[in-house]
Amino acid sequence: MGERARSVEEIILEKLNNDKVPDQVASLVISAMRGEELEKAAQKEQPPCPPCDGEPRLAYLKGVTVQGFRGIGPKVTLPLQPGPGLTLITGRNGSGKSSFAEAAELALTGENRRWADRAAVWKEGWRNLHEPEPADIEVDLTEDGQHGSTTVTMRWAADAELGEADVSVQADAGGPHRLADKGWSKPLELYRPFLSYSELGALVSGQPSKMHDALQAILGLDLLIDTERALSDSRKSADSVSKAARQQLPALLEKLAKHPDSRARAAEKALSGRVPDLDALAALAAGGEDAAGGRSRLLQMVATITMPDKDEVAAAFERVEAAREAVVATAGTKAADARRLASLLSAVLEHRREHVDEPCPVCGGRVLDNAWAEGAEASIEDLNTKAASVDKALQEQTAALHALSQLIPAKPAVLSADLGEEADPAEASEAWDRLVLPTLSAEAYETVVAPIVALRDRAATVLKRRAEAWQPIANDLAAWAKQARDSQQAAVLLADLKKALEWLRKVGKEVRNERLAPFASTSAQVWEMLRQESNVELGPITLEGSGPQRKVALNVTVDGVEGAALGVMSQGELHALGLALFLPRATAAESPFGFLVIDDPVQSMDPAKVDGLARVLSHVALTRQVVVFTHDDRLSSSLRQLQLPSTIWAVTRRERSVVALKKTDDPVKRYLDDARAMARTRQLPSAVRAVAVAGLCRGALEAACFEVIRSRQLAAGVPHAEVERALESAHTLHHVMALALFGSTDHGIEVVGKVRELGGQPCVNAFSYAKRGVHEGVNGDLKRFVEDTEKLAKALRR
Amino acid sequence: MSGPSYPVPAAGSGAPPVSPEELLDWADRLLTSPVEGLGNLWPRACALVIRLALEQSLDRYWTRVLPEAAECGMRQQLLLLPLYAGSDAAADAGLDAASLAREAWRGLARAAHHHVYELAPTAEELRRWHTAVSRLTVLLAAEPNQVMGSR
Repeated sequence: MGERARSVEEIILEKLNNDKVPDQVASLVISAMRGEELEKAAQKEQPPCPPCDGEPRLAYLKGVTVQGFRGIGPKVTLPLQPGPGLTLITGRNGSGKSSFAEAAELALTGENRRWADRAAVWKEGWRNLHEPEPADIEVDLTEDGQHGSTTVTMRWAADAELGEADVSVQADAGGPHRLADKGWSKPLELYRPFLSYSELGALVSGQPSKMHDALQAILGLDLLIDTERALSDSRKSADSVSKAARQQLPALLEKLAKHPDSRARAAEKALSGRVPDLDALAALAAGGEDAAGGRSRLLQMVATITMPDKDEVAAAFERVEAAREAVVATAGTKAADARRLASLLSAVLEHRREHVDEPCPVCGGRVLDNAWAEGAEASIEDLNTKAASVDKALQEQTAALHALSQLIPAKPAVLSADLGEEADPAEASEAWDRLVLPTLSAEAYETVVAPIVALRDRAATVLKRRAEAWQPIANDLAAWAKQARDSQQAAVLLADLKKALEWLRKVGKEVRNERLAPFASTSAQVWEMLRQESNVELGPITLEGSGPQRKVALNVTVDGVEGAALGVMSQGELHALGLALFLPRATAAESPFGFLVIDDPVQSMDPAKVDGLARVLSHVALTRQVVVFTHDDRLSSSLRQLQLPSTIWAVTRRERSVVALKKTDDPVKRYLDDARAMARTRQLPSAVRAVAVAGLCRGALEAACFEVIRSRQLAAGVPHAEVERALESAHTLHHVMALALFGSTDHGIEVVGKVRELGGQPCVNAFSYAKRGVHEGVNGDLKRFVEDTEKLAKALRR
Repeated sequence: MSGPSYPVPAAGSGAPPVSPEELLDWADRLLTSPVEGLGNLWPRACALVIRLALEQSLDRYWTRVLPEAAECGMRQQLLLLPLYAGSDAAADAGLDAASLAREAWRGLARAAHHHVYELAPTAEELRRWHTAVSRLTVLLAAEPNQVMGSR
């Protein structure tokens, strides 16, 4: 692969940009890709760049610990050798072995969308039946160049659902605590190191579209499938929403036609145009007035007429009466006379100041002496007071009369309007004319005002009845108006969705080919190794078509004749095909995952293909840590008989989900078994036997050393590439032993001393025979030599 | 067994053993054309003949290089073979004598015995083993009478 591999999201974002896709269409694609709600996408600003991952380090699995999950009850750990090599976990179906594979994938992929699609049975049955609690998963990893290990923990609370686990990361070397910050999301898509049983199973379902999707998933193109599905689902719902208003219209019109309210006519009118007048409808729905100047408003006016009640009227009459009595009480006192007399007396008093004790200038009689003056002053005051109270009484009388006449408001014009059959205002109008106070007595008021009050109450009743009859249809109108607006929006959205889907399907083809192309030749090689005696030859594979027509196009030839693709392939061959597509990607040099976890690739493979698989996996295991789960003995027996190095664990499950692991085979054990068998072969000349046994014992020691070197150095933070380089350049057993014991070949001289420390003279003997015996043979007891070698190997691995 | 009789080397009978090349010819004929009277037994018969060819081929080689090895079981022979025959380069490609012998033996040992649930080998499997044993025979015949430990 020349250029850097790109994730589906990166490719799509770039292509959206390059193709100058309209904003609203691009938003839909992006939202669909990110699993957001599409209906809101059109209005939303999209961030232009996907979240950028850091550069993750090369990681190997060190162990998987599971408890209370799937088939595993009490806590159990599957220990793994970090670094390249092949590990087989064998166990009968239902032994809980797949639970380890699923647990590792679940923990490392986190809240991956792939799990959302899992069958409901799986989602409900994820807790262990016998030990549902506590449920947790721990995956231990070594990361390149970091000392110690990194643990990804997934823990569920007592009542948590599958998707509600707490996921955390804890590394001896420090670093992020959130899985999302590990930078694995993109590599998981591009180089996903997990191949599950169900994915391989989906390949053989026989339905072209299902196979297409299964292959896409194996290629890490789930996002493409999910995005397309999200867009397609939205399109379906937008389509039905956009049609809903039109579909509901006939029912609404039928209801309106039956409704007597004049607003129903207005609503019919608003609906009659090519484009419905939604504003008018909304106003009508809110109880609003019809356009014909309607009677409802007149009735509303009548209903709100307020008339004084009889108490108010009586009070006003009382006031007038009281004022009249006050006026009467002044009894003929004329305020003007009093004032005139007062001013005459005042003028005389004025005159007297100059003409003291002269006779009255008016009548020329009595002398105006002091006594008169005093009397006159008192009279003036008395006269003025009288005049004022007469004025006040008169004013009050006027005010009271005015108030009485004002008590009845002006006759409203609405009383002369046509209020329809239900309310005739004539009587009320006539009554109003008679309501002239004070010509009317307080007693008569009540009788006269009665028709007005009756009309008012009637108007209110009519209005209320109308409102009650209108409300249901008003609700219908409001609902339809909302639906119509939704439909209009959906129609706009639908057009964009169609464009988005069309664009994505076009681009999907390019993305798929971009994914397939770089690995095509490696896939063909893997297929070649796997197919064994199969007469099917694999040419280029393409994913074709879209929507329901999508399928996998295989260019295969059967016995050299071009064949009808999938029809000719057996289940075993289809599984082999899945592997051929999976392996090159998972082992890409750019992948940060040093491991591969494959769940039951052996199913339905015939014996010969199992041999091919054994070779393929061993080949991959030269550079990767390959962990394979398998339900029968075929693969392990193939590995053993073909002398392919591997570590084999047997999983057994007792009652109540108690799962136990037992190591049944590993390269060291196998070398030692062979050495023992060879040592017993008396037919051979002893020199030949000795050399063969020495070679096998050396193999056992080297295998033990390699294991120790890898796990110790990786855990000490030595970069993986450096470890492998050191292993490659260690040409002699002595070098390898030095690396295992001291982590470096510089300590050559101290090796023997250290070996002695480990297990005394027998170990030193074993070591030196293994070194020299291959060339010189071994003198003495071969059986003993094998035993000593076993002792040393055991001491090394301790 | 009725039908044509096939040459089988009788141990210690003094008759010269049939060469692996001849046996492979027989097997090839069984694979390509029906043999009257053999009916459905031909795949197992064919497997037996190829297996015999493998044994003869190794036998002939060991007689030349390490006579004692010919007396050993197949496990020992297969363990010894990489010490005597082949090259590292061929071994990496899985095309050295030891790998070819191992792979053919694994299939043939199983096919030549009766297993309750296992069906007779297919023509493709037989052809593959035939090819492997043919290659092995050519390789071993070309090996010098070398001394052990040269690898």
